[in-house]
Amino acid sequence: MGISTCSEAISLSRELENNSAKVYQELSNRYEQEKELFLAFAKENEKYVKQIERTYYGVITDAIEGCFAFNLNPEDFQIKGTLPKDDSYSNAVKEALAMEEKIIDFYHVAAEQSRHLMADVPRSFMLVAKKRSERLTKLKSLLEK
Amino acid sequence: MAVLEEPIKGIKEVKNYINGEWVDSKGKIVDVVNPATGKVMGKCPISTKEEINAAVEAAKEAFPDWRRTTPLARSRCLFRLKELLEENFEEVSRIQTMEHGKCIDESRGETRRGIENVEVACGIPTLMQGYYSEDIASGIDEWVIPTPLGVFGIIGPYNFPFMIPLWSAPYAVATGNCIVIKPSSEVPFSQMRLTELAEEAGFPPGVWNVVNGGRTVVDGMLEHKDIVGITFVGSTPTGKDVIYKKCGETGKRVIAQCGAKNFMVIMPDCNVKATVPALMTSFFGNTGQRCLAGANLLIVGEDDKFYNSFMEEVTNMSSKIKIGYGLDESIQMGPVRDKEKRDNIMGYIEIGIKEGAKLRLDGRKPKVEGGLPDTCFVGPTIFENVTANMKIGSEEIFGPVMSVFRTKTLNEAVQICNASPFGNGHAIFTQNGRSARDFQYNVVSGNVGINIGIVAPVAFFPFSGMKDSFFGVLHTQGQEAVRFFTESKVIIQRWF
Repeated sequence: MGISTCSEAISLSRELENNSAKVYQELSNRYEQEKELFLAFAKENEKYVKQIERTYYGVITDAIEGCFAFNLNPEDFQIKGTLPKDDSYSNAVKEALAMEEKIIDFYHVAAEQSRHLMADVPRSFMLVAKKRSERLTKLKSLLEK
Repeated sequence: MAVLEEPIKGIKEVKNYINGEWVDSKGKIVDVVNPATGKVMGKCPISTKEEINAAVEAAKEAFPDWRRTTPLARSRCLFRLKELLEENFEEVSRIQTMEHGKCIDESRGETRRGIENVEVACGIPTLMQGYYSEDIASGIDEWVIPTPLGVFGIIGPYNFPFMIPLWSAPYAVATGNCIVIKPSSEVPFSQMRLTELAEEAGFPPGVWNVVNGGRTVVDGMLEHKDIVGITFVGSTPTGKDVIYKKCGETGKRVIAQCGAKNFMVIMPDCNVKATVPALMTSFFGNTGQRCLAGANLLIVGEDDKFYNSFMEEVTNMSSKIKIGYGLDESIQMGPVRDKEKRDNIMGYIEIGIKEGAKLRLDGRKPKVEGGLPDTCFVGPTIFENVTANMKIGSEEIFGPVMSVFRTKTLNEAVQICNASPFGNGHAIFTQNGRSARDFQYNVVSGNVGINIGIVAPVAFFPFSGMKDSFFGVLHTQGQEAVRFFTESKVIIQRWF
């Protein structure tokens, strides 16, 4: 089933942030050399959840199309929240990269679809997408080490 | 997707709040049923005349001290209330979904709009400042002091149980008055929670009172000599023939916001992609139970191709609306409040068929998610070929029914809008500034939308209304509410 309502879209963003935080927790447990970086990513995710929820709760109103704002397919953005057990370091980082790209894609699509409705929400989605793009650079640099 | 947890477990009993105390009513107790699940979620008293009198008496006694409390100190109570409402935002919203049936996004939107009124009223130290002229004659100065009046009654409807009393209450208490709120006995729980938070915010006993019930409480307010004014939101017959009339007889000031039959005028140059979702919210949001809901869709122009493709889009999106329990985040439309209201809507659908309108989308047997009883559910319904002399095109249905008209010109469309006895929230959808300007200038409507489906003014603008949609002079919200809840005391001074 597709996602139409704001409430569902916000829940999906929360789910993506929480699941990706779990991945970074696991990475931090497995790979001591980048522990701090991965933990920082996990912590940032919590901040993003709060930021998006605060924005949504601040602007939601019965007078806009809250129940008809989105046309998202959640299948397109599913992430597991776990890493394969025997992954090598480089494979694990590649998994994280793929996950980040998927989440960035979600925020771009969600921002575009909600553009006409609540300026603050798409702006918040785009800010998080931008921050995550910076992660891509950092993750890629790990592969080059 | 997630079904959110219900904040009310078991059967919750509603009490009255009088003079800072939660008290049981001696009146009859009625069940409050969750319209989506059909389960009894609580019990509400139908309070007696003695109980409303006790509340007014408490408010009257509290008034002199509250009036003397500084505007800053009064606003601090409102700041605390705002913070408490933010902290309890989700609970308050879910309660609305349980008691009323609306979707969770709609309930959260209602909570936000209610809080916004509290926020605006927090500015009362400047909002209620008077003005001064020196030397209006030789050695004579003159100034105005907005002064509070005493005790006000606030009568809430069932369709926005939390928000609508907040169009009045924060301004009333901020200006130094005391209040007695009567929530709808069909949906008393979010007001009860609001009152608990108001108590926690520190309003002194007697300033903020709540008496649950029905006609006895309303009559008690209308007849009480110590109530100086009433705000009411409800149907036109009650607003006009009972509230407005009785307030006139007893010398009370009044705001009576009443029924509507809003037209959404579609110009062929509208942005179809953005307009259709806006119409979904307008006609089917809150399951059509709002005085700013779209009721009549008026498509301008003789281009059959545009008409057919536009209606195809509208019908297609309407038919896909997901119906069920509003605590399921994926639901786009909840039930109507009760079976009686559903039967009334069904009756109008039957009338529409008999009147010869074309039933394009039939909502009488909707697909309801989650195996819920279908007692209170009606699906989106669309009639075409509707004319202004049909009941479905002229009377307020208060449900998810769209009546589609066609006209040749915008001028003709405005004439049809203006022929309606109501004037609450008409709107035009166009990308042409001239059409928009002509419409907003000529249409007789208290609130006018341009590419807006729900013409709901924000808290710092008045919630207007014209013709049979509004009785009174000043409106709720913002500066007009401040003026309504105060009298201008004019001082003219000369020293010999």
